[in-house]
Amino acid sequence: MVDAALSENLAATSRGAALRRFGRSDLRFRFFTGSAALLVVVIFAGLIATLVVGAWPAIKAFGFDFLVTSSWNPVTERFGAFPAIYGTVVSSAIAMLIALPIGIGIAIFLTELCPRSLKRPIGIAIELLAGIPSIVYGIWGLFVFVPYFQQTIQPRIIDAFANVPILSTLFAGPPFGVGIFTASLILSIMILPFISAVTRDVFETVPHTLKEAAYAIGCTTWEVMWNVVLPYSRSGVVGGAMLALGRALGETMAVTFVIGNAHHINSSLFSAGTTISATIASEFTEALGTLYIPALIELGLVLFGITFIVLAIAQLMLYRLNRLAGGGSK
Amino acid sequence: MNSMAPVDQNQKVRIDIHDLSFYYGAFKALKNVSLPLYDRKVTAFIGPSGCGKSTLLRVLNRIYELYPKQRAEGKVLLDGVNILEGKQDINLLRARVGMVFQKPTPFPMTIYDNIAYGIKLYERTRKSILDDRVEEALTRAALWNEVKGKLKESGLSLSGGQQQRLCIARTVATKPEVILLDEPCSALDPISTAKIEELIDELANEYTIVIVTHNMQQASRVSDHTAFMFLGELVEFGTTEKLFTAPQNKRTEEYITGRFG
Amino acid sequence: MNRVLYARRRITNNVFLILSLMAAAIGLGWLTLILSTLVTNGAVGFSFRIFTEITKSSGSNGGLANAIGGSLIMTSIAVVVGTPIGIMDGTYLAEYGRDRLSAFLVRFVNDILLSAPSILIGLFVYEVLVPRMGHFSGIAGAAALAVIVIPVVVRTTENMLLLVPNTLREAAAALGSPRSHIIRSVTWRAARAGIVTGALLAIARISGETAPLLFTAFGNNGWVSGLTGLNSPMASLPLVIYNDALSPSDDLHQLAWEGALLITLAVLTLSIVARFFESRRY
Repeated sequence: MVDAALSENLAATSRGAALRRFGRSDLRFRFFTGSAALLVVVIFAGLIATLVVGAWPAIKAFGFDFLVTSSWNPVTERFGAFPAIYGTVVSSAIAMLIALPIGIGIAIFLTELCPRSLKRPIGIAIELLAGIPSIVYGIWGLFVFVPYFQQTIQPRIIDAFANVPILSTLFAGPPFGVGIFTASLILSIMILPFISAVTRDVFETVPHTLKEAAYAIGCTTWEVMWNVVLPYSRSGVVGGAMLALGRALGETMAVTFVIGNAHHINSSLFSAGTTISATIASEFTEALGTLYIPALIELGLVLFGITFIVLAIAQLMLYRLNRLAGGGSK
Repeated sequence: MNSMAPVDQNQKVRIDIHDLSFYYGAFKALKNVSLPLYDRKVTAFIGPSGCGKSTLLRVLNRIYELYPKQRAEGKVLLDGVNILEGKQDINLLRARVGMVFQKPTPFPMTIYDNIAYGIKLYERTRKSILDDRVEEALTRAALWNEVKGKLKESGLSLSGGQQQRLCIARTVATKPEVILLDEPCSALDPISTAKIEELIDELANEYTIVIVTHNMQQASRVSDHTAFMFLGELVEFGTTEKLFTAPQNKRTEEYITGRFG
Repeated sequence: MNRVLYARRRITNNVFLILSLMAAAIGLGWLTLILSTLVTNGAVGFSFRIFTEITKSSGSNGGLANAIGGSLIMTSIAVVVGTPIGIMDGTYLAEYGRDRLSAFLVRFVNDILLSAPSILIGLFVYEVLVPRMGHFSGIAGAAALAVIVIPVVVRTTENMLLLVPNTLREAAAALGSPRSHIIRSVTWRAARAGIVTGALLAIARISGETAPLLFTAFGNNGWVSGLTGLNSPMASLPLVIYNDALSPSDDLHQLAWEGALLITLAVLTLSIVARFFESRRY
């Protein structure tokens, strides 16, 4: 009887000790996970603050003019970001124009057309390609694509469009090989696997029953894609496209090699240009003077602003799709 | 509606549920339920799906608190102490009131560690004693003979019925006072189900057992008392024999004779 | 049945299916082309010299040894620092945050950082560390890479933890296990393969990163050894590729191709191993 009471007592104290231990470790763990979460927010805020502080001298010196003027002169320390902003936006836009239809085409091919036995290997190949570092695309562009493009393709395009009104301006010579259009092509190849992979994932969120229902009333594959799959996953496709656009806008290495790095705007897409990231990458370590570095950092701030808006839209679109998919499956 | 259940004066009440209501956000899932759960007896909760029987079970170890916006009102007295009051340590409560789920939930670790996990939470024991406790628990769950040669294999390698018995062994190993079973056989084949029902019978000698089931035959086979619930209300509570042979309430009768639900 | 309409629908269908087939052929063909030129150009002059010799000026038969070493050192530090932070953060989001406003904010910020231009991370770390240290350094490079690792690991960790069924958490809680214990000994274990995947993907991602290293690690043509080396400019494989590719000499171009092949092989291997782990998820 005494023994039983004693062991009962012992058990109680060891349970009490265990409970106190639990309380402490719960608090500690919660603190660590919460701090890690906070750290990411701090890094983000730090990133913005650093860019603003670093850019401040340039912001003060040039004000709004920075965004709309075109001179980029380290000697006189007059800096205008317009050519870089123009190059960034135009090269990304053309890249999206090329990559989006092809990327979505590949995703459609993978979800609806591809023989089952090829689906996994091709899907995996595309995901692997999406992970290849951009510098690889950069040197391929510089050493392989640019010479071929300059000698074989560019002259033909220039000739072919010589007498066509608008196109003769857009594709005016001489053929340099490098230039905004070349950068767009390389960018489009680089974001292609990314778009395909994201869009494919988005298509897979469409419930099978929904597709089956459409096939059951006699829809063709194309009609199922166009009338059921795309409308259902619209926000996801847009989100994925925006993510890809974000990548293209901020891409440095694939562009720096092939864009020509010239701070002027030319009506021809074949002429050399620059982007924000290419300017920063090629000039930052050599920048001297009081306003040169702040001007480059302000360029970074502008890039941050542009990509933030694009990525924020992308995230909100994707969250929306997730909620839809989450709600639909329950 | 008579929500106050009759109390059998001859038996010891282990858990006394008193005027219990439960909310999922604004939705009231349990409406002023009161009933006793007797010591070392098996009580079954039956009723059509969505009637609140699982919700009621999940209040008894406050597992619902893992999720936001779920809230219980009223009293649940375990040995006279209200477990819904904040002072009660929730981890200790759950160690005292064990639970087995609808789908088997082996942890992603070895069979041995699955059992030892719960023991090691609250006790510092020597390896040899731990070995004995694991063997004892597996024996009680009628699983020892099937797994004794492969204790180091993953718990996920077992069949569904074995996994469920592993989960029962894991619950028994921590020496709880009450065991809650939430449709423990609904994912199992008839042979595994028969084994588990035998086991419940065996365990009732030592533990207070509450089982939620949608299977009326099962309720009549394993339980001493049965509570019939409908739309969040307790419709009828009594001995299983009486409830199934001479139900007092018309809806209970309709349900057990299969006319609705 | 309207036969004309039906025929028109079938033609439309076939046209678009052929278009999507062509898209796949173009896309995959082009990417195959890039990989094959990479392999042929990189493999041509491939010799073990690149693992034993350090980078030298043009015409003197240099290798990539110091660049490989620098990449390994900076990548290791970034992963060792970034992965635990990422795992803890992802755990917060999946286990504690879920529907909270704070979690929404953290998730949003994290996903922006995940896709933010990496050159901006380089600028950020440059501004914070380089002027203070007075020079470029391996440690600054590692810090920039760590900032890139964190969001990758956070994303995979949260996704993988959300795949762990809630019943498993309930089962552990029903034994009287406290929250922190449930996470560490049950949910993390169940999501282990996925979390390893995240770390591997992060390594794959940073081993090809060039832009954030340009003005942090900067590059170095000499051997940089040990911990003291971290305090000086450090070579890295992508940086050497960048500099060599922009140089005028053919032998350095050749070295850039070899480096690019090396990086691509490393990244592909890591991604394949990561995929293997992912398929073993709970």
